[in-house]
Amino acid sequence: MNAGQKSARRIAASNGPISRDTVCFSCLHRLTHPSRRNASTAAALAETPSAPTQQPRHPNPPVTTAKAPRKAYQLLASPVLSRPPLLTRDLTSFEKAYYLYQKRLNERLALPFTRYFYYKKGTPGDAEWKRKIKVRETPARDIGVYAAYGDEGWNDEVLVGDRTAERESVVEALVRDAEGKAIIDEEVVGDENKNGLAVAGDAKTGEGQRRDLTKVEVERPVERVTEADRANDMRSLSRKMDRTLYLLVKNREGRWRFPQDRVYGRENLHQAAERILVQGFGIDMNTWIVGNHPIGHHQMNYTSGGAPAPRLAKITPNRLVSTSRDRAEYEQEEYGEKVFFMKGRMMTGQADIAKNEYGDSEFRWLVKEEVEEVVTGGYWKSVKDILAER
Amino acid sequence: MALLQEVTSSFLRRFRAPPASLHRIWASQCRHASTEAVAQETDELEVSSFLQAEGPTQQAIERFDPAGVAKRRNRRLPPSRYQFRSPRYYRGPLHPHQPPRPSEPSSREFAPGPFSLPRLEQTYHDTLASDYMVLAYAHLPPGQTAFKKGDRLRRWEGDSPYFKNRPLRGPRGGDTLRLLRKPVTFRNVPQLQRVTVHTMSSDAINSGAALHVSGMVLQAITNVRAEAHEVKKSVAGFGVRAGMYLSLTCELKGEDMYHFLSKLVDVVMPKMKDWPGVKGSSGDFSGNIALGLKADEVALFPEVEVNYDMYPPKLIPGCHITIHTTATTDQDARLLLTQIGIPFFGKLVN
Repeated sequence: MNAGQKSARRIAASNGPISRDTVCFSCLHRLTHPSRRNASTAAALAETPSAPTQQPRHPNPPVTTAKAPRKAYQLLASPVLSRPPLLTRDLTSFEKAYYLYQKRLNERLALPFTRYFYYKKGTPGDAEWKRKIKVRETPARDIGVYAAYGDEGWNDEVLVGDRTAERESVVEALVRDAEGKAIIDEEVVGDENKNGLAVAGDAKTGEGQRRDLTKVEVERPVERVTEADRANDMRSLSRKMDRTLYLLVKNREGRWRFPQDRVYGRENLHQAAERILVQGFGIDMNTWIVGNHPIGHHQMNYTSGGAPAPRLAKITPNRLVSTSRDRAEYEQEEYGEKVFFMKGRMMTGQADIAKNEYGDSEFRWLVKEEVEEVVTGGYWKSVKDILAER
Repeated sequence: MALLQEVTSSFLRRFRAPPASLHRIWASQCRHASTEAVAQETDELEVSSFLQAEGPTQQAIERFDPAGVAKRRNRRLPPSRYQFRSPRYYRGPLHPHQPPRPSEPSSREFAPGPFSLPRLEQTYHDTLASDYMVLAYAHLPPGQTAFKKGDRLRRWEGDSPYFKNRPLRGPRGGDTLRLLRKPVTFRNVPQLQRVTVHTMSSDAINSGAALHVSGMVLQAITNVRAEAHEVKKSVAGFGVRAGMYLSLTCELKGEDMYHFLSKLVDVVMPKMKDWPGVKGSSGDFSGNIALGLKADEVALFPEVEVNYDMYPPKLIPGCHITIHTTATTDQDARLLLTQIGIPFFGKLVN
């Protein structure tokens, strides 16, 4: 047979007599000896599958015109406001080990560091450089003590359990270097002149070579795990800085949802999303609604015991939508809800639930897994594919 | 009587279970995840000592000290024990000494790999790409057909019989065809591809030092060794002869590119004085945007600023930076660069 499954399937579907010239022995065997595992094969009726008609179909078929009177649905816009990750993710242990090894290999292959291009001879910077390089043996500050062209250049791999590649060690080394200390504490050597008292540094050149006149205060990098992470404050935007946070509210029915509201008058989804954020959380949020079209949708039909149960809704004009005032308050029978999600990005500010006009009781900034825990099943199905993994 | 029953039952069996259609038989024999419980992955693997082996004992781990063993060794090892040079020439697939892959550290062509996961690359994949997809989506309401553009290559229309199989004509206004723009999908989002940094110094006509200084500066800011280029054609007006080395380029890909662009956007651009942004007409209609930096602006790079005094005065060059993207139009490239943080000013020419 020429190809694998597809050609055999086509021949099987053609329902004609199978020619031994076109079908290979193993496929022939399978087609003529149906498996007895499945109960349905034994009891199957002889159904002739209709021959696939090769009619050209419209690439973008129109929605079929309804025969019955059109059902009205409550049209809702829902901004999915997200705070994108502010920090890079933590490296995996493999990545850390790999990068460290590649840096050490680079030391072995790169040309020697041109010290006098950066530090003029006789300057304090040069003296500091000479003192530091003696300890760490390499210009790089984040690969530990390693001399690429020395006698132990062959020993470029670190042992199991080594902490050189960890972020804390790298930060420590950089901070110590900025403070003017060597990246590791040198061995303390006893001096016989000092009655065996410990002397730091090179005993031959004598102690007191380096005097700390002013203590250099180097600003340490801010911690990646913030107060909000430790307290698990779900209302804070500083929590889980390496993940995307989504804004959810608990509506008046007690359900956790993305903020949503009806679309009024002639406003479009983009405008509705912006209005909902202002009406739901006040104006102290600097946000951006991305694009003019939705990124997802969710439909919920009103049913009672399986049968459709339309609800009568009273639509009053919205104070922020001028075109909604064109029509006085009117009623509409609605068969369900259709929510369209709009992508929103949060830059600065914070939500203020006190300014909420929809009766929502609280808000939270949650990551994707937490949204799944808190939201109902059908809603999660509509929403899970529009949330970012990180 | 029993024989008759057997005969009738076998006769009836043939009628009761008519042969199922071949299509059904085929479909029933296909294995899906739902029809059968997924077998344990490890059951399908071949039995191998790798899976059964235990790691080293804790004692073995603690006693492992290759550097210590080497130090305590009294005798000298023969060179073959610690020196290895991979073969210089490839002598065919049957030769006993095969050159290692370029990714092997022992290979002569080994280039040490990525040293970090750049922040800009992560930001692109996590944040910018999905925003781009949303922005570039063009909705087609159901029932409407997409606007069909005319043929790119036009046919010869007329009475003449020689028009029939004549090669098609180019578009109106010129013979160059622009790149086709494919709709942006999740597989097709424009990405940064490479960055070319170029500098030409006319001081290098008279002094060789100027080119070396330019090379040092480029190497410092890009982390890539610069390549020098000859002048192709002599132009007396500029005082330039063919064969003179006057310009340098650095090509940045991958990690180097992301680090360079991060520095440019976050450190250099904010410090530039009275800089309105990249010109809106910049672009080669194929998704590549170029910008220029003056000598004072190149000096703002942290690698140059740290030892600014070491460079001879007035020999730090300016440069052209060309950002190549996988976008096929200028608008797409500009949208991507705006997301990264590069401002544009003036009339946007596509």
